[in-house]
Amino acid sequence: MKTKSFIPFLMIISLLGIIACSGGGRKGEPITLEWWQFWTDPAIKPTIEKIAADYETHNPGVKIRLTDLTWGNGHEKIVIAFSSGTAPDIVELGSDWILEFSSSGQLAPISKDIIADTAKFYGWPPAIYNNDIYAFPWILGTRVLYINRGLLKKTNLDSNFVPVNWEQLKKLCYKIDSLGGGIYGFGSNAAEKHTLYKKFLPFFWSNNARIVSEDGKYSVISSDKGFAALKYYKELSDSCGMVDTQRRLEDAFLAGKVGVIISGDWLLKRIRNEKIDIDFITGLIPGPEYPGKSFVGGEYLAISNKSQNKIEALKFIKYLTDRENELLFCKTNYSANPANEEATKDSFFADDPALQTFIMQLNLSRFPPADPQWVYIEDIIETMLEDVLFNGQPVAESLYKARNKIQKLIDEKRK
Amino acid sequence: MRVRQTAGVLLASPWILTFLAFWLFPLIYSLFLSLTDYRLLQPTYSWVGFQNFINLFSDTIFLNSLKNTFIFVFGAIPVTTIISLIMALLLDKSFRGRTLFRSGFFMPSITSMVVIALIFTNLYSRGGYIFLLAQMAGFSPPGNGFLLSNKTALLSIMAMDVWMSVGYYMLLFLAGLKSIPIELYEAADVAGAGRWRKFYSITLPLLKPVTLFIIVINTIKSFQVFIEIFVMTQGKYNSSSAVYFIYELGLNRFEFGYASAAAYLLFMIIAIFSFIQFKLMKQG
Amino acid sequence: MRAVKYIILSIILLIMIFPLLWMFRISLLPANIEGTLANFFSSYFTLISYLDLFHSGNMLIYLFNSFFVGLVVTLGNILFCFMVGYAFSRHAFIGKSFWFYSVIFVLMLPAHIVILPLYLLIYKAGMYDTYWALILPFLVNPIGIFLVKQYVDSLPRSMEEAARIDGAGEMTILLRVVMPLCKPALAVLAIQSFMTNWNSFLFPLILTGSKSVRTLPVGLALYQGHQAIDWPHLMAGSSLAVIPILVVFLLCQKHIISGITAGAIKQ
Repeated sequence: MKTKSFIPFLMIISLLGIIACSGGGRKGEPITLEWWQFWTDPAIKPTIEKIAADYETHNPGVKIRLTDLTWGNGHEKIVIAFSSGTAPDIVELGSDWILEFSSSGQLAPISKDIIADTAKFYGWPPAIYNNDIYAFPWILGTRVLYINRGLLKKTNLDSNFVPVNWEQLKKLCYKIDSLGGGIYGFGSNAAEKHTLYKKFLPFFWSNNARIVSEDGKYSVISSDKGFAALKYYKELSDSCGMVDTQRRLEDAFLAGKVGVIISGDWLLKRIRNEKIDIDFITGLIPGPEYPGKSFVGGEYLAISNKSQNKIEALKFIKYLTDRENELLFCKTNYSANPANEEATKDSFFADDPALQTFIMQLNLSRFPPADPQWVYIEDIIETMLEDVLFNGQPVAESLYKARNKIQKLIDEKRK
Repeated sequence: MRVRQTAGVLLASPWILTFLAFWLFPLIYSLFLSLTDYRLLQPTYSWVGFQNFINLFSDTIFLNSLKNTFIFVFGAIPVTTIISLIMALLLDKSFRGRTLFRSGFFMPSITSMVVIALIFTNLYSRGGYIFLLAQMAGFSPPGNGFLLSNKTALLSIMAMDVWMSVGYYMLLFLAGLKSIPIELYEAADVAGAGRWRKFYSITLPLLKPVTLFIIVINTIKSFQVFIEIFVMTQGKYNSSSAVYFIYELGLNRFEFGYASAAAYLLFMIIAIFSFIQFKLMKQG
Repeated sequence: MRAVKYIILSIILLIMIFPLLWMFRISLLPANIEGTLANFFSSYFTLISYLDLFHSGNMLIYLFNSFFVGLVVTLGNILFCFMVGYAFSRHAFIGKSFWFYSVIFVLMLPAHIVILPLYLLIYKAGMYDTYWALILPFLVNPIGIFLVKQYVDSLPRSMEEAARIDGAGEMTILLRVVMPLCKPALAVLAIQSFMTNWNSFLFPLILTGSKSVRTLPVGLALYQGHQAIDWPHLMAGSSLAVIPILVVFLLCQKHIISGITAGAIKQ
């Protein structure tokens, strides 16, 4: 070989060698997946750890490192981590947080790799942004009616009475309320962040009202339908509502002081864990005519866009959300709405009337609109509800104020 | 008497180093951010100069939270100071069981603020003990509980704060009382001065440094009240504070530049306040 | 007259103690019994919540971490705040005003704004999720500096000057002459340091992540579940949390009360 062409040849060989070596990653080096999640209480944490350990057993070379997040401040920790470029590989996000991160490019798009899964899972809407999917639904949670049958039996209504429309709901609450002795008919939420609006929106949506028009250009919260919904809710709250925080409403419900409340599956868990002796039934949220629409939120798993292990992370997420593991989680935590559709068909849910209500309600539920400015919209709605319910403001005026504020948000964004 | 400069710098070096290592960057970074429209998670942002500060002056939510903070400061501090002084005076002289009372009064101060806030949330609610007590005493508390009413939410949190902190300030007053020379009292006895005279002419004046310290520290703490509101009301029912506003704005709405401006504005207010307090106390 | 004093004191004591008694009482109830008035006076007691805490092993870790960090920071505070406070009180040096204002600055700026850049700094320095993150930034405490400065300001310089004339070095003056005089202030500083650090929540929350370095307040926060608070375990945890500080307090309070020599200096 002539010297002149030897050196370029050597360079090319070395270049090819380098490319070959770096292409597949070094074999045998363990991958550590950092996972931040919220399920930390002693009842459910072992299950999470077990699922992670099982994955490690079936996938030698992968280690899962768990970090616990507190429900109260976990969001801040996540935000700070992403903002400073130090986010974990996998993070559990609430359904109303996903858009904050997906719209700013912090999450890895996964739609290409989950085409087969989209049909098998509930709950995709909050994870979608710009025609791509950025999070995987894991555990959902809708809201249903809880009725204290002990109180129901004291009225002259049938002991299996479940209201199917607004008229019947009103009748039920009035009758229980008139039992007297400090007993209220309806549990009406006080001004509590991230909670009050979730109790009103079911009535709002059940009446086919919308916050924003379908083309996204106009705020239509103050339509006739919205007005009717708010008027109905206010009447219910004023005439037979006990106003208190969600926790205390549940305490009161369990103590037989409130007849009807709207709550999620955590109440079932509490009744089971604390062995509370209460006779209750669950029912679907009623609309003006049957059926109504409820609120749904949930926990999702997302991958950081800066992760070095995206492929492995997605593999682990699919493992976490497969039928068996979702069932295991739901059985341990008494969760009613796994995102995995296969899992919902298990007898664990079918054999329990309360869980079955939740499963049915999921098909009749809506997520809040997927809007990057949802935090502001939520605040506007909460202020509107507080004005109407607690500050004596007229319904129409408050609705118009809310409409104008939301419209301003929309207009500013579209500029 | 001249003191060598180097000795001073050496002695102050722990702070100098700590400040340079950990606090200089955050302070400058936040100051810088306050002059931008930086939003958390967004990669780009632009300079806005003093626009954030100008906007704050017409931001009703911020002004409201600031107003609440002022109510907190002006309401809680005088009450706390007086009560803790009374407690200190009661426990000054030695008597049997004094340690028990002293420890008991101090206990609220050492318990976690979050847990105290949770406990009081329960006590203030409909059917809670404080609620029942108020009913028994003839007051008619708001039907849904003290924390679910625009009129009483902030005041209830203030009352809890006073309860929590009097023990700690009592301790400071006790230390101050003990450093007053007994000879002064003895001399006053010889001169025939009565209890009140001794209190006004000896105790109060000599307690000035401690009182000033207590008021300044309490002011700084009260201006930054946050955890109680975070746990008990999340700022609802007209109980938001300035720091809670900053927290919501910065970490929940991600308007971090605007929140940094609010933080600096708050800082300036606290500084002006403390400065005025210093001057007033030095003169009086 | 004595009786009246005891009655008043006892009433005040009851008001101060009652919420804490309530907390302690709840910690002795099992999970399915409500914390109502009737149950408060019931005779149902159980230590199960406490046993659970120790059984999971985490409580010991949290207690140890809080105690270790608290102790180190407190000792550091006593030494360093004393040095710095004294320097601000007695010494003049270049930039003294600037450094003094820096103390005030750090004291007054809300933590939620500072936490983000501080986290960045700690992370880049490789200290994230270590004891260093919990100790180093807080080793010198602005309130402590302020406290010492105020106290030393009020001390007459006579003893120091006398010692200086006798030819004693600065360090000797500091440690042998001034420090003993400052016992009340340092005792207060010790309690205040330990207390603040013991209950510190935001910084440990953001600057650490794993269980091995987790402190007590963050650990307790994990008992505030999703939509439900685990009252008995939370109350048990916080009852336990009170004990170490109570011990520190009982140890230090003697110095506060008995440190009389400072005020008795003759001019």
